[in-house]
Amino acid sequence: MKKKFVLLVAAVLLAFPLLTSAAPIKIGFINSITGKEAQIGENLTNGIAMAIEDLKAKGIQVDLVKEDDGGDPKNALAAYEKLVTRDGVIGVVGPYTSGCANVVASRADQYKVPLLVPAAAKEEITMKGYKNVFRLNAPANVYSSVLMKAVAPYKPKTIAYVYAATDFGVSTVKTAQENAAKMGLKEVANEKYQQGQLDYRASLAKVKAANPDLVFLVSYDADAILLMRQAREIGLTPKAFLGAGAGYTTAQFAQQTEISNLVISATQWTDDVNWPGAASFALRYKAKYAKDPSYHAACAYEAMRIMVITASTAKTSVKLQAALKAGSWNGIMGPVQFADYGGFTNQNNHSMLVQQISGASYETVYPAQFSKKKLIYPFKR
Amino acid sequence: MLFLQALLSGIMTGGVYALAGIGMSLVFGVMNISNFAHGDLMMLGMYLAYFAFTLLHIDPYLSLILIMPIAFLFGFLMEKVFISRVISHPHQNQILLTVGLGLIMSNTALLAFTSDPKILTTSYSSSAFNIPGGIYLSVPLLISFFITCGITAILSLFLLKTSTGMALRATSQNREAAQLMGINVAKMSAIAFGIGTALAATAGALIAPIYYIHPLAGHSFLLKAFTISVLGGLGSVAGAGVGGLIIGVVESMSSTYISSDWKDVVVFVLFLAILLLRPQGLFGKKGGES
Repeated sequence: MKKKFVLLVAAVLLAFPLLTSAAPIKIGFINSITGKEAQIGENLTNGIAMAIEDLKAKGIQVDLVKEDDGGDPKNALAAYEKLVTRDGVIGVVGPYTSGCANVVASRADQYKVPLLVPAAAKEEITMKGYKNVFRLNAPANVYSSVLMKAVAPYKPKTIAYVYAATDFGVSTVKTAQENAAKMGLKEVANEKYQQGQLDYRASLAKVKAANPDLVFLVSYDADAILLMRQAREIGLTPKAFLGAGAGYTTAQFAQQTEISNLVISATQWTDDVNWPGAASFALRYKAKYAKDPSYHAACAYEAMRIMVITASTAKTSVKLQAALKAGSWNGIMGPVQFADYGGFTNQNNHSMLVQQISGASYETVYPAQFSKKKLIYPFKR
Repeated sequence: MLFLQALLSGIMTGGVYALAGIGMSLVFGVMNISNFAHGDLMMLGMYLAYFAFTLLHIDPYLSLILIMPIAFLFGFLMEKVFISRVISHPHQNQILLTVGLGLIMSNTALLAFTSDPKILTTSYSSSAFNIPGGIYLSVPLLISFFITCGITAILSLFLLKTSTGMALRATSQNREAAQLMGINVAKMSAIAFGIGTALAATAGALIAPIYYIHPLAGHSFLLKAFTISVLGGLGSVAGAGVGGLIIGVVESMSSTYISSDWKDVVVFVLFLAILLLRPQGLFGKKGGES
């Protein structure tokens, strides 16, 4: 009797996935749910959850298979291989970090299952000519170029760099230097610092002595606040502060109005941009998760929406690849099209936004066609 | 101008480092234990100052009046419960115990307060005195420096003039002889550890308004406190004070004249050079380690 029951349960368990996989399309999602990137990973998870909800409301059923990479490229690759071989998904959204996305991208052509990278910035990911790798967000070099384009009309002449001695800091400044050279900006100071120090005054005093028009900063989290406090202390007042790193785009930074006011930063998405649905997405997100959506949430939402809508008509991986390549969309991330340009393959030429802090909130100020406010330049204290 | 700015910022930052070093050095002098939980005790001081400010609305510098006795009691009990058990054991056991206690503290803080850095914002967080000639002195850093000077002066008076202070010094000089003279060395150890903890927490609270508060923030200061106490001569309070100032000024000067990227290299090359010439540290007793 007992044996029969066990057999019955086993039979039901075996049959169940067969029954469900028949109707809705199957999509994989790789994200950093645990590990040190988990805090940002949560934004992606939330964005995806909202996308699935919205698609359901439109009558599109999705069978989403979620995998955690813990921020480790090895796990991300294992997750991708599991998704395409065992789960039989026809497309994958993710992974979040550049390191993970880069490794997974290198295998996508082998399995011929399209990978849509929502928010990883490393340029290399879409520069190797992979047919099955698509990227929604703008790559890292756009961070500095869009910032410089935004201030170019005001004709600044000199620039100083202050940045964390990390891979991200060094590579961002390298592209910034190339962009600055094109604009004819003269570099007057270059201060690389070790993170987590108590005192940055010596470096900042050197920058102040060079009297630059622009100060280009790359810092993480709390370092950004520390650095700007000490900059204010010693009276460093360039015509504009350009914050490229993550530390200048957080709500915590914006709330420090004494030091954050008028600081300019680059981002993939804002809630006051005039792209269709962006404002309502922000409102619904805030109501649901009790916090403001980061650009990661918006990127993940739109990536999943594009993936599912395209997959629901394509049905197979091969047709999905062709449909992603041919299609174009317009949603909360603005117009999206996966194109080949300037060495990139299947890269959405996403227009990054420049925002300026005004009274503890971020306002989009560039490009003009997407923003309601104007850039304030020069910087006043 | 750059030189003066670097010198003054260096001295003020060094003062705060010194306070962290003094606590560590005192504990080593009296108990012959390197307290590797010192950085995490600083971290607890940071959170105490943060919560006193956000929940009780007490200025972080005023909250020291609350933090010091709490930290002293915490250190006193910690010595009684844990440290006293390893005091006559080999150094590696003591190191493992203090490292373990530190890990418990930092990981508990991670669970309780999450890894989001907290920022303590006061009305004077980013204000500065402008001295003619284009030199700016940070207000919070200056307050921290004066408090450090005050505390160091009080501690010196306590060690030199009071009978408990003298008993502490006697225990530091020769534990067995002090015991033979009728000094309760077990109690002295607990008092020394209590004072060391109070100094660590004070240093943490003084750093809180000029830094950010994070469960792992103590780790970078542990290395600094250890360097300072070795540089000054383990066990020497005056040595730790001078050691702190040296480190502060060298850091500031090397970021001004070389690159802030290189300042740790300069600090540790200098550290090695001093130890080569004076292995006992600047103010250490020769052959102190037996």
